[in-house]
Amino acid sequence: MKYATDYGYEIKPVYGPADVQELDYARDLGDPGQFPYTRGYHANGYRSRLWTRRMTAGLGSSRDANRVLKKYREMGQTGGLCVIHDRPSSSCIDADHPIARRENGVLGWPGSSLHEFEELMEDIPLTGQSITLLGCCAPSALRLAYVVALAEKRGIDIHAVHGSVTESPFSNPFGQTDLQPFDLDMKLFLDSSEYILRNRIRMRTGLVGQHFQESGGNNAQVLAIELSMLKEVVSRLVNERGIEFDDVMRLPYQLVSIGTRFFEEIAKVRALRRMWARMAKERFGAKSEKSCQLLIAVHTSGRTMTYQQPLNNIVRCAIQTLAGAAAGCTAIDNATLDNAHAEPSPLAALMSLNTQHIVAVETGVADVTDPLAGSYFVERLTNEVEAAGYRILAEIDARGGLVAAIASGYVEAMLKEEANRKFRELEAKERLVVGVNHLAIAPEEEPFRIPVQEVEASDAEAIAERVAAWKKTRDLARVEASLRRLHADAGRGDRFNLMPAIIDAVKGYATAGEVIGVIRLARGLKYDPFDMIRCPFRLN
Amino acid sequence: MTQGRGVKVLVSMIGLDSHTTGAQVVATLLRDAGFEVVYLGVNQTPEMIVNAALQEDVDVIGISSHASNFSLIEELMRRVRQNGLADVPVVCGGNIPPNQLDRLKALGIARFFPPGSPGSAIIEYLAAQGRGTDA
Repeated sequence: MKYATDYGYEIKPVYGPADVQELDYARDLGDPGQFPYTRGYHANGYRSRLWTRRMTAGLGSSRDANRVLKKYREMGQTGGLCVIHDRPSSSCIDADHPIARRENGVLGWPGSSLHEFEELMEDIPLTGQSITLLGCCAPSALRLAYVVALAEKRGIDIHAVHGSVTESPFSNPFGQTDLQPFDLDMKLFLDSSEYILRNRIRMRTGLVGQHFQESGGNNAQVLAIELSMLKEVVSRLVNERGIEFDDVMRLPYQLVSIGTRFFEEIAKVRALRRMWARMAKERFGAKSEKSCQLLIAVHTSGRTMTYQQPLNNIVRCAIQTLAGAAAGCTAIDNATLDNAHAEPSPLAALMSLNTQHIVAVETGVADVTDPLAGSYFVERLTNEVEAAGYRILAEIDARGGLVAAIASGYVEAMLKEEANRKFRELEAKERLVVGVNHLAIAPEEEPFRIPVQEVEASDAEAIAERVAAWKKTRDLARVEASLRRLHADAGRGDRFNLMPAIIDAVKGYATAGEVIGVIRLARGLKYDPFDMIRCPFRLN
Repeated sequence: MTQGRGVKVLVSMIGLDSHTTGAQVVATLLRDAGFEVVYLGVNQTPEMIVNAALQEDVDVIGISSHASNFSLIEELMRRVRQNGLADVPVVCGGNIPPNQLDRLKALGIARFFPPGSPGSAIIEYLAAQGRGTDA
């Protein structure tokens, strides 16, 4: 067994005052609500507002996902909904694309048009709960357009809607490839961000450190990645789009992965709050205290959910949820007991949501703010992960920031080495996982066979057929006219914001493949990333 | 390590799945064990995988799958047979639900390695699949 954190800090058998003698309460911790916000942003913690307890939905057709969302509401998910795109729509190719036909509705919702979003949200309010839509950067601008368009159709003021439907372009190198070139993703990300900020829409954008960590990164690395993502994105919005820093900070939230090493995970989140608060003040000259308070949501770690003896995952999930709660996050969406098999079954979803409800109301963790503050061990861990994170951040900075560090291969190499190291540690039994390399049992002796949700090939094909037929029912002249405008706008350079033209096209029911395809054409790319279909519209 | 010497393995993702960590860890494991590894990466269609297997004259095809839609693997198996590669075992690793396994085995999948499989088991099995051309 190894007594060390995943970033290599050797853990001692006992901690005492000497381990935190440098710690200055006012400088390094502060009361909850006080800079540097190590202890959180609200003096009353969860007594003012519990974290949003939610499950990620999305599997099968839009109507299937709609039914699941309604079910989750019955299960007590009323604070906010969370839906993830399927693979084709994450990549902005339409359901009737030859490559998509076998993957529609797999691992997510086939959200490639406003029509699908309308079905997803049927009889579900856009307001009174946060609306979170996940799944790669490329469709972000589309998702924002869906929300704007549906709010308008329902006669709701867009400013009454809150949530997060856009995502940074940094998921691509971390296992969430969306087929689009980085510069296009970045442009669309900046356009959607600027649109949100200038129109004072209450929408956040996700900087998803979770993807990096779930691809194998360690806790110190992920802090460095999360901070350098923030730096890169915020700097671009300030410098390239001319938005004040304190306005920009209404936008980002971090989606952080939380694993089973309880104390280390809590330390990581506390360190992230402190590191951002200092960066906001020192690097960006924050004038508003709000800008120093990074919104942090938690996804409990899917990669720790084992294929073997899946019921054990309920326990892992509970420990991780408790860590997320003790760390003081804003929202948690949970992994599920069947995470290594498929998308959540109704049973798995119920267990995961109930895990959150039990942690929230039965354990007492929500009664007290930052309950582990002052623990010699947790404060030391917070300092250690922060120091290790700063060292990696300096390496990234020395390479010219995150975009340059990714382009040079530095980040990929770091991630790869770390994933290999984790694998070797399991092989050598330096880390034990029950049911996998410790107390394993033969597959035929599994005591319980969990129900598994699946999408069949015929379901995927049915989604494709339906989209192909629906496309012909649209007002094609209207679609073509809006795409022609979008094509023209997309030729006006990176600073020209495409959101108005995208919203117009989406309202006319142009699809993700068409919208992104036309923008691609204007940028000298093929309409279709696979070059299998041609643009069906006359653009000039 | 020399267990894999003379054995050429193709490792690929299939379809739009981009959960590459498992495939990359296995590719490294195999290279370190002396195998010759052709890693195709993401966005590979069954047709592209079979073409690469033919061109590279591999001994084994390894597919990484993350709760995917298994019809892509079905199509791969069909193309493997059509292209005279029936003697090239196709091995899958990743998150494949138990109830899909019987179906895939019936289609001729040689072996399935679930998450958490020991590296030694993967190496041992693949080392035995070499056709001995230069071993």
